[in-house]
Amino acid sequence: MPLNAYLIVGALLFTIGAAGVLVRRNPLVMFMSIELMLNAVNLSFMAFAHFLDSVDGWMFVFLVLTVAAAEVVVGLAIIVAIFRTRREIDVDELNTLKG
Amino acid sequence: MTAQQLAFFVLAFVAVASALGVILFRNAVYSMLSLIVNLLSLALFFLSLQAIFVATIQVLIYAGAVMVLFLFVVTMLAPEADTNVSGSDRLRWQWVATAGLAVILAGGLILAVANGAVAQDAKAAGPNSLAAQVTKVGNVQAFGLALFHGFSFPFEVTSVLLVIAVMGAVVLSRRFSGRERE
Repeated sequence: MPLNAYLIVGALLFTIGAAGVLVRRNPLVMFMSIELMLNAVNLSFMAFAHFLDSVDGWMFVFLVLTVAAAEVVVGLAIIVAIFRTRREIDVDELNTLKG
Repeated sequence: MTAQQLAFFVLAFVAVASALGVILFRNAVYSMLSLIVNLLSLALFFLSLQAIFVATIQVLIYAGAVMVLFLFVVTMLAPEADTNVSGSDRLRWQWVATAGLAVILAGGLILAVANGAVAQDAKAAGPNSLAAQVTKVGNVQAFGLALFHGFSFPFEVTSVLLVIAVMGAVVLSRRFSGRERE
């Protein structure tokens, strides 16, 4: 398959993830949409690594994976802490931090 | 060749359909399972790009460890979280607006991909190219050589990042007993 086929699949996945962040009100599902976007970019990196014959794409995927793991750990801890104090996690209701 | 194309299209369909499932399922647990299917299909994409080690860590770490953590929190919080159907009519126009924006974003990205081209001199060649390294020392060894020679500093920074994340999670998730003392 040509490089562009992989890039187009990555573009579609990224778009779906971005749409998910916009429409969903559950922060857990918003997190999943962010994971979708990260993985779409990972697919592009892997496709470029293969078609440019360079190992750098693999390294970037590895680093993105670590950052995603750290982000999930801290984000889920924040969501659980919010749920403990307010018993609800609707994003529209969490507006006490606005300036 | 035809079998390869067929596999690609089936994988692409599964990836896009499961990604749509993530944002369309009302129940967060179903979204979660759909996301796991999406991650596994991406791991198969990586395999088809001859990246055996990255496909393995995608399954082990992402679809395994990270998603299990996710699933714990989702099953702990989700039953109360997504049962309010009253928000659906409030969100109707937002769904329409988001669909329009998504079409624009996807169209722009695909247009950029279709019009762009990879310069021929961007390709690595000779003994430094990925294919040469993989045939010489093997897939995992090529990954490790690149990680510990060219990318050793980012790798060490990664360890600091993970320690900070673990400490942050511990601090955030402990019960604050100091508030009761006040």
